[in-house]
Amino acid sequence: MSSQESQDIEQATATIAYCPLLPPPSHLVLIFFSATASPTTKPVDMTVSSGKKPPTLNRSLILRYPPPSIWAASGQAALEACRILVVSSSATSTSILKNLVLPGIGHFSILDSAITSPADAGNNFFLNATYSLGKPRAQEAVPLLRELNESVQGEAVVKDLKLLLDTDQGRDWISSFSLVIAHNLNKDVLGQLSTLLWANSNGPPLISVRSAGFIAEFHIQYHEHCVSQSHSENAPSLRITRPFPALLALARSLDFQNMDPTAHSHIPFVIILVRATDDWRKSHNDSLPHTPAEKKEFKKNILSMRIKPDEENFEEAEAQAWRVWSEPAVPSDVQALFSLSTLPTAPHHNSTFHALLQSLSEFVKDPAGPGTLPINATLPDMKSDTKSYVQLQNLYRAQAEVEKAQFKELFAVKHPEIARTSNPEEVDSFVKNAHHIRVLRGKQWGAVDQDREAIANLLNAQPRETATHLALSALSTLLALETEVTVDALNAEVQRVVGEGVELPEELETAVGEIARAPTADLPNMAAFLGGLVAQEAIKVITEQYVPLNGYCVVDLIESWTGVIN
Amino acid sequence: MAAATLVNGNASSSDWEGRYHHVDQILDRPGPRTDPSFLAGAEVKDFLRDKCKILVIGAGGLGCEILANLALSGFKDIHVIDMDTIDISNLNRQFLFRPKDVGESKANVAAKFIMNRVPGVKVSPYFGKIQDKDEDYYMQFNLIICGLDSVEARRWINATLVNMVDSDNPESLKPLIDGGTEGFKGQARVILPTVTSCYECSLDMLNKPTAFPICTIANTPRLPEHCIEWASVLEWPKVHGDKKMDTDDPEHISWLYQVAAARAKEFKIEGVTYSLTQGVVKNIIPAIASTNAIIAASCCNEAFKIATSSAAYLNNYFMLIGTDSVYSYTFEHEKRDDCPVCGGQSLSIAVNKEWTVERLIEMLVERQDIQVKKPSLSTPGKQIYFQAPPQLELATRPNLEKKVSELVPDGGEITVTATTLPFNLSLRVTYT
Repeated sequence: MSSQESQDIEQATATIAYCPLLPPPSHLVLIFFSATASPTTKPVDMTVSSGKKPPTLNRSLILRYPPPSIWAASGQAALEACRILVVSSSATSTSILKNLVLPGIGHFSILDSAITSPADAGNNFFLNATYSLGKPRAQEAVPLLRELNESVQGEAVVKDLKLLLDTDQGRDWISSFSLVIAHNLNKDVLGQLSTLLWANSNGPPLISVRSAGFIAEFHIQYHEHCVSQSHSENAPSLRITRPFPALLALARSLDFQNMDPTAHSHIPFVIILVRATDDWRKSHNDSLPHTPAEKKEFKKNILSMRIKPDEENFEEAEAQAWRVWSEPAVPSDVQALFSLSTLPTAPHHNSTFHALLQSLSEFVKDPAGPGTLPINATLPDMKSDTKSYVQLQNLYRAQAEVEKAQFKELFAVKHPEIARTSNPEEVDSFVKNAHHIRVLRGKQWGAVDQDREAIANLLNAQPRETATHLALSALSTLLALETEVTVDALNAEVQRVVGEGVELPEELETAVGEIARAPTADLPNMAAFLGGLVAQEAIKVITEQYVPLNGYCVVDLIESWTGVIN
Repeated sequence: MAAATLVNGNASSSDWEGRYHHVDQILDRPGPRTDPSFLAGAEVKDFLRDKCKILVIGAGGLGCEILANLALSGFKDIHVIDMDTIDISNLNRQFLFRPKDVGESKANVAAKFIMNRVPGVKVSPYFGKIQDKDEDYYMQFNLIICGLDSVEARRWINATLVNMVDSDNPESLKPLIDGGTEGFKGQARVILPTVTSCYECSLDMLNKPTAFPICTIANTPRLPEHCIEWASVLEWPKVHGDKKMDTDDPEHISWLYQVAAARAKEFKIEGVTYSLTQGVVKNIIPAIASTNAIIAASCCNEAFKIATSSAAYLNNYFMLIGTDSVYSYTFEHEKRDDCPVCGGQSLSIAVNKEWTVERLIEMLVERQDIQVKKPSLSTPGKQIYFQAPPQLELATRPNLEKKVSELVPDGGEITVTATTLPFNLSLRVTYT
């Protein structure tokens, strides 16, 4: 395939890959075929796995095949647009980068003035062993990382962070990235970096990683992080107890007693529950089953609706009966967001989310609306025949369209400016995921160590995680002071931070002992473990999908546990 | 020094001063949770770097990571088995492979890559099945790490290693470290065959593979998945006869996608896509590089601790869920007394007196702790039902209609065999 042809294909893909109208998962292969069908290009041999000569394909195309459905096209586009700064090119840093380059971030810069040492050559997979000795570490690492995915841009910046932090130009450059990641940075320099990024509410989040032998932690610093696509596995409300008119009408219209037996055994459980709830309300003064006895009776009622003993759809309805007493109009987590105070330091790009959130709260209060969150169009699978299921699914879909339109109208009235300029995809995604939206508010790196009351509470609630965090903080302090790292010195420093007389848990002893054993060890397995964990959190932050860490994630690879403190 | 490093063989000759600066901080002195048997210093380094022999099963998403970690940790005699060749779709996470390697053996390419990048490490690849190797082969290793995506292969290696344990020979107990991932979730575990819970003991913890009832697929499809299953389970054999479906072949997947899409259209079902088709027929949630990295690192970390005794190892199960913050759960999975592999007892099952043999087979297929496809049944005295060969199937087929209670006495034993089951499962039947 000539380079012109591969370029044609790439252009075709590039145009279509971001087209919001196409379902994200299918685009690549289909485009392959459509591109080959064009008269200007020769057919591309796709039978790569059958042992024939592999076709030469454009690398960036290959890497998007199959498209990462796990974070959808919008997530991939966010990754491809992001620029990441990694401070140091230690084994841990390059491991993190490997897991960001593979899925295809747009650009990375490694900032590192270190020269490859024999120890680096021994523990870092992204150096050329002894051939890299004596050469700048970052420069040696960049080509080996870029080789993993040629669509990713990468550069080595052989400079000292400390000097860059001293100049306006340097500070601006650092702040221009989408995300900054630092590993085992000198505590004072990290403090300066964190203060710089924290002061700019629209600046990049900072992930700082500290590791010593089998012990490690990392922290994400952001003011606020909003997620509409949390990919929660909790099922959204089916609105059984608050049925929309068409659903209620359908449930009431069915003549359960005199139906054809086959049709009867195919009534979807949703209809059965809506009907049973309607009947219950009529005979119980419009209330729902509350007491255990009532709930039992309600379930019995469902089973007594069977006309044959083995009707699985009624068994399913009984198993799903909890929905009748556990479906709030608004889930408590979302309700709590309605009364969230305004955060002056919230980044600008969250303003659409907040406008949508405010509109959602109005939507729930709107007397013309359903009094709940907008309904979700996705129906779970259930025992049914195709016709009844598709009919029910169409009802939900139609209702979801109606409520989405209502929501958008409200949004346009309440926030005309934002509604006009916002991305329609973002609005659709917000409405679709309204049951699972999240808002995280973070703290500055190191802030918790200044707050003795918070530490005392954490020591009480999570002694193991907090003690390990304190031991690592103490290590940073000792290393910055160039003091010898001993068990005694670490213990003394921890005591100084928490305050004299504060009792420390026994877990501190194991953490301190392990850190004193290997205070500067960047173990290959720990580096790889952090490489995965940190990259995963970075991907969540960048794609604004799934829910990232808030606070510190502490890791102990002896007992193999992780824990989060905030 | 540098020139000599690419020659493999005498491992220690390629070590340079300071090469193991990081790992040696651990190996030179014990920590608070280190067993007293730890031989800090030269002795443990010598064992790790010159004597220890480790086997990696699988050179895919987890395997690539495992090989790199082991090599950097100081293991120098590494063997790797994988029967697969490199597919274009592997390149977004299997980081030892390049576009030029597509179609080559994963084991061979991965071994070569590691030996080039990490001097002095010998990686011996085997391009083939784990079942090709016998007990003598597995006996040569100190440790085995599995990075597989197949339940069947894991059950086989697990049963093989449990069988190998000879109580008179401590060397015959081979620690098995197993990792697995799905999307943002994963697990790593340490199995000491016959001592701790084994892979078979925890079979019921697996997410139930989404098996759709055939009547739904054939008559009442509701989801796009039902249409895809229809295309692959019913239409493929009908149209292609005996031709085996290759889920790695884009042409096959495209065919299934088109057939499924047509059926979906007919039933007004939305959502059949190429990637969903691929996901359903391969029964996979897409693997991602970061989760693979975490789980592979955990496996190698356990291997390192076991090989060196430098710290306590995992007891015995680490589970990670990365979708909502970082959540992990470490616990001791308990041995099952009636585990058909390491429990040494037969599995008791209660059977309704009225049940036919066919109903019993259905029940066995459905049970999450057994997971068997197409089982054949026999009692010590007679054949009940055999799936193959055809003559025997025909001869035993009338028994499917008979009641189990007519063929097996109360408290009697039934032996279950199947091609997918790496051992004979013995059931003790009681009637209800």
